Formats: sequence, structure tokens, C-alpha cells
Amino acid sequence: MALDIETLVDLYRDMWLIRAFEFGLEREFKKGNVPGMLHTGVGQEATQAALAAHLKATDCFFPDHRCHGINALAQEKHQGDGERIMAELFGRATGVCSGKGGSLHSANPRVGNFGDNAVEGSYMATVLGVALAWQMRKQPNVACCIIGDGTVGRGEFHESLNMAAIWKLPVLYACVNNGYAISMPVGKGHASADIVDLARGYGMPCVQVDGNEIELAYAEVARAVDSIRAGNGPYFLEFKTWRWQGLFSGEFRPAEEVRYWKEDRDPIRLARQKIGAQSSLQAADLDRIEAEVVQQIETWIDFAKNSPMPDPAKATADVYVGGEELR
Amino acid sequence: MSATTVRTRTFVQALNEALDISLARDPNVYLLGEDIAEMGGDFGVTRGLWAKYGAERVRDTPLSEAAIIGTAVGSAMVGLRPVAEIMFADFLGECYDQLVNNAAKMHYMFDGQFKASIVVRTACGGGFGGGPHHSQSVEGWFLNVPGMVIVAPATPADAKGLLLASIENDNPILFLEHKALYRLKGEVPEGHYTTPLRKAAIARPGKDVTVVATMKMVHEALAAASELEQEGIDVEVIDLRTIRPYDAETVLASVHKTGRAVVANEAPKLGGLAAELSATISEECFRALKAPVVRVAGLDAPIPFSLVLETYILPGKKQVVEGIRSVLRA
Ligand SMILES: Cc1ncc(C[n+]2csc(CCOP(=O)(O)OP(=O)(O)O)c2C)c(N)n1
Ligand SMILES: [Mg+2]
Repeated sequence: MALDIETLVDLYRDMWLIRAFEFGLEREFKKGNVPGMLHTGVGQEATQAALAAHLKATDCFFPDHRCHGINALAQEKHQGDGERIMAELFGRATGVCSGKGGSLHSANPRVGNFGDNAVEGSYMATVLGVALAWQMRKQPNVACCIIGDGTVGRGEFHESLNMAAIWKLPVLYACVNNGYAISMPVGKGHASADIVDLARGYGMPCVQVDGNEIELAYAEVARAVDSIRAGNGPYFLEFKTWRWQGLFSGEFRPAEEVRYWKEDRDPIRLARQKIGAQSSLQAADLDRIEAEVVQQIETWIDFAKNSPMPDPAKATADVYVGGEELR
Repeated sequence: MSATTVRTRTFVQALNEALDISLARDPNVYLLGEDIAEMGGDFGVTRGLWAKYGAERVRDTPLSEAAIIGTAVGSAMVGLRPVAEIMFADFLGECYDQLVNNAAKMHYMFDGQFKASIVVRTACGGGFGGGPHHSQSVEGWFLNVPGMVIVAPATPADAKGLLLASIENDNPILFLEHKALYRLKGEVPEGHYTTPLRKAAIARPGKDVTVVATMKMVHEALAAASELEQEGIDVEVIDLRTIRPYDAETVLASVHKTGRAVVANEAPKLGGLAAELSATISEECFRALKAPVVRVAGLDAPIPFSLVLETYILPGKKQVVEGIRSVLRA
């Protein structure tokens, strides 16, 4: 099932938006303009773009720590202000959480972004409640949680899949298997290197997909989301992919593995080849898309840099709803 | 003023009434936990509610504490008002992350975009031979967590009024139910009413010494006060009712009046509620104090099984009396 060319080009642009966002962010991080820690989603753009394409603002997704891209995409697509994700990462008052969340805690329910949790995958439990509420209200929404392969090691993985299964909750598990959890190879950290093997016992559809082929990822997400909206209960998708970012200390993976994923399996390059083969679009047309997106990201970075810092007095606000008096 | 009928009810019945009223008043309220539905919960607090409101709203879960709290929080993010039961407070370790890192921080870290309006009811406290994993006082585990609310009633009337107030509040609330109080009887008004959160009660007015206590220790303090009354010692007992954030104003006003303070808490002394109250009283009432604050607390050990050992560990009326005598001597 081939995608129509307009959709494919849109996804190409989305993937570039994610990559340009991360490249720009990395540059600013190295300059010391972005505080804290930085985990980027470069290499995993097809997975994120496919999810973003099918999740509506009325659905929800719990993004993982490599999800600046999907956060920005959702923010831009549904609200037209992707720059507020950038501003959040810069710790500015104009950010989606006014600088209280940062890279690992950005949320905006109006675009379906229910917030990352830097205790990896804690929202495997939270997603159940959103799904339960929608099930009780008979709303055909999808509650998605995005989890890394390493995160599957948590006990909540079992609790969540089990409860979603017994209650037939509308949960989409999007497992981004990029081969490693920091330095731990997936096959060493789990009883199976294929996470679908671990999920199968819970009786939901478990599908493994090439996370670097945008057409395949897009089609599988569509199937999963349709199934969930139809009331068939939870669905588990495992995206096989690879992250370009090594360790904070540098690259630790074999040179040939790095070359293979960056050159042969780059999701953007693969999409570009596909578009070239299926349409009359020229390399120059695609280069122009890339340049436009890079330019857009630079304006976001400027917006973030020129935004005010939060008022320090806000640091103790909103600890309690209704203040200390608990009104 | 509407005339409210007051009946005698147990602590468990009072809690049950609060849940019943909440389920009837607000379609967003639902209950979840282990064996709370048809069985009615380990202590019978949810008895009859499954039959009345159905399995959707009185929901049995598997033995999955993290998923119970996660479900509660997630559903609150989209506007429901869950009341979760964690069978024994000792099991809160299983969902500590969900409470501390998610529920308590959510409103803050996401800049007010979500409310974790959940109530987590749980049975705590010792005195019945429950052993190391069914007897602990856990308020100290959560005392250092901004965003968390800890509510701890001592009487049936407050159990009902505070539970209703908690369910109607928009913050994540840990609602502690001391097991030794479940069968306690008291006067409970009929129908809907709320007892204000973060408002201590003066359980017994007095002028010579202030005792600040929670849950079962309120009753130990009242018993101590009655005993000392024979000797002409007039003890004021404050029932804190909400442990975090707490009503410092009422506590400090009392100590300013009496000049002497004993704080009584079942948990170990080190780093606990007794330590916090003692520090605040000492900081704020230093000049008014006629003696150092005395902490009456559990001994620094896990809770042993054998009743002889457990009785040795846990503070009671005797220790409160000794504490009061020692602040009066100084
Ligand atoms: C509960 C928890 N344990 C450990 C960490 C530290 N940590 C951050 S990222 C990470 C690896 C996660 O691996 P994976 O889920 O595969 O995601 P990836 O980084 O590969 O995308 C770890 C261990 C954490 N943040 N939370
Ligand atoms: Mg990984």
C-alpha cells in the first residue's frame, strides 16, 4: 500500500522539522544556552512523524525523553506555536509550562500532549486512567504512551499491559526499540530483543514495524489507531529503529553499526529516495523543504532566546491547587 | 440553620457514608482498588456500594498498586474524581513513584495545566499484631513532598467530613485511616457536610500544656488528659487532622497560650511528623516556651509481630502522660 505523494511529502517535512529542531537544539545546548540534559530523537523521526500524523488533538500521547520533535509537531500542527516547545527547553516564561518543565516535562493538553515524565515510563500507569475515563464516557479517543526498549524493564510495563488488557482500554503502546537503554543492548536487558515477544502474553495485537520506513510506520499506526477507536482494546506497536545520539560521553557502538544506520537506514534519506522514485519532484524541491524548515526552526530558537525568563517568585506558585489553604 | 440529625456510627460506617454520598452527588467520582467491589474492601469501607453503583464505578483491580494510582491520576487529568484504596499503607512503596513524582508534581511542573484530583485511602497504624508490613505509620514518607496533601481523621464525624472535603478538593490527597479507629463509634451528622482541610481541631481545651496529636494518638492524648485532670493539670489536645500542609496557626496559638508542648505521633521520632512539629514550635514560640518541646513517638525499630514487642515499640497513653509530666517539670 503506497502512500499518496502529498502525504509522503508532508511526512518528509514533518521528519525534517523534528531533525532540524534537534540539530538546532543540540547546537544551542553545546553553546550553553539550554540548561539540564538533552536526549535527542534524531534517527527516530519516522516513528514520531507517523504517530503525530494519526493522533488528533483530542487524543493524547505521553511523550518520552526523545520526543521534543513530536511535541513540537503537535504544538505546531494543532496550535501553530511550535516555538513554545523550544522556549520551554530554554527555560523561558513563554514555554508551554512557563519554564517549570523543560525538556523532560513538557505538556500541553490542548494539543494532546499529556507530558513526559523523567522517571522513564511512569506514565505506562497514567495512560490507563486517561483511557479508562474515555472508555467510561464512550469517547472514541486513543491514549498513547511512547516508551523506549529499556523502559520496558519497569514493573509498570506488566501492570499496565495487564490492566489495559483486562479492561479493554483504548491504549496504544508505541515502543521505540532503538537497540539500547543508555549502554545496555536490548537483548541483554530483556529476555527477548524483540519487545513484541514480551507483550504477546497479554493478548492484544502486537506488531513489529520498521520504524525507519515512514510508509510502513504510517500504515501500522493507522491500523492500530483504527482498531482502538473501533473499541477493540489496547494495541502494541514496536518500532525497530536506532538513535543517532550515543552516550553523553560519546559514541560507544561499533563503527559499522553507526555507518549502517546513519547511511543506509536514515529515515529521511529513505523517504527522499521514495519520493524521488514515485514523483516528479526534484532534489531541489526537497532541498527547499529542508531549507524552509531549518529557517523556521531558527526563528523558533530566536523566539526562545529573546523570551523573558520566568519570574523567580513563580517558583513557589501552583504547588497546590488553591494555594496552601487548599481552597 | 437546618436541623441535622446526628446518629451514632462507626468510623467505617462514616467513611462508607461519605463515599456513598460522593458517588450519588457527582458522576465523575468512582472508586478503584483491590477487592473493594462485591467484597466491600478488607475493612468493609466500600460495603454495599458495588451493588448500588455498579462495577464501572466501584471497580476491582488486580494486585497492581502502581497501576491503581496511575489509573487514578490519568483519569483525574481528564476530569474524573477517583478514590483509590490501597489496602494497607505499607504497600504505598509500590506506588510511591506514582504519588510522589507524578500526582504531587503534576499541577506544578505542567504549570497548572493538569490537576491530580485524587484521593488515596489507606489503612495505616499498628497495635493489632500485623507485623512489619501491615502496621506502619507512613505520614513521614510523604511529609517532605511538596504538592502532597495528607489527611488523617481521628473521629467518625471527621472521617466523613474530611473524606467528603478530600474528594471535592483538587489536590492529590493521601487519606490515612488508622486501623485501630475503624470500630470506634461516635456521633456523625446525617447527609452531606465537609470538614475543612488544613484546619486543626481543639479536641480538648486546656491551659497548662498543649499536646498535638493525630489519629489514634489523639485518643491516647485525651485519655492522658483525663488522667492528669485528677491532679489538676489542664491539658489542651489539638487534633491536627490535616498533616500536610498543616494548620500551624492553631498549633502555635495554643503553645503561645500554654507555654508547653508535647507532640505525639506513632511513627519513629527521627525525621517524622513529631520532629517537624517540634522544630516549628521551637522556632516560632521560643520565647513563650517554658520548657523544651517533648516528642512522644514510636521507638526507632520496624514494627515487630509479637504483641509484647509491638506494645513496647508504640507510644500510648502512658508515654503521653510521661511526656506531659516532663514538660511540666522542666
Ligand atoms: C525509572 C528510571 N530509571 C532510570 C533512568 C535513567 N535513564 C534515563 S534514559 C535511560 C535509558 C532508557 O532507555 P530506553 O527506554 O531504551 O530509551 P532510549 O534512551 O534508548 O530512547 C535510563 C536508564 C530514568 N530516567 N528513569
Ligand atoms: Mg532504547
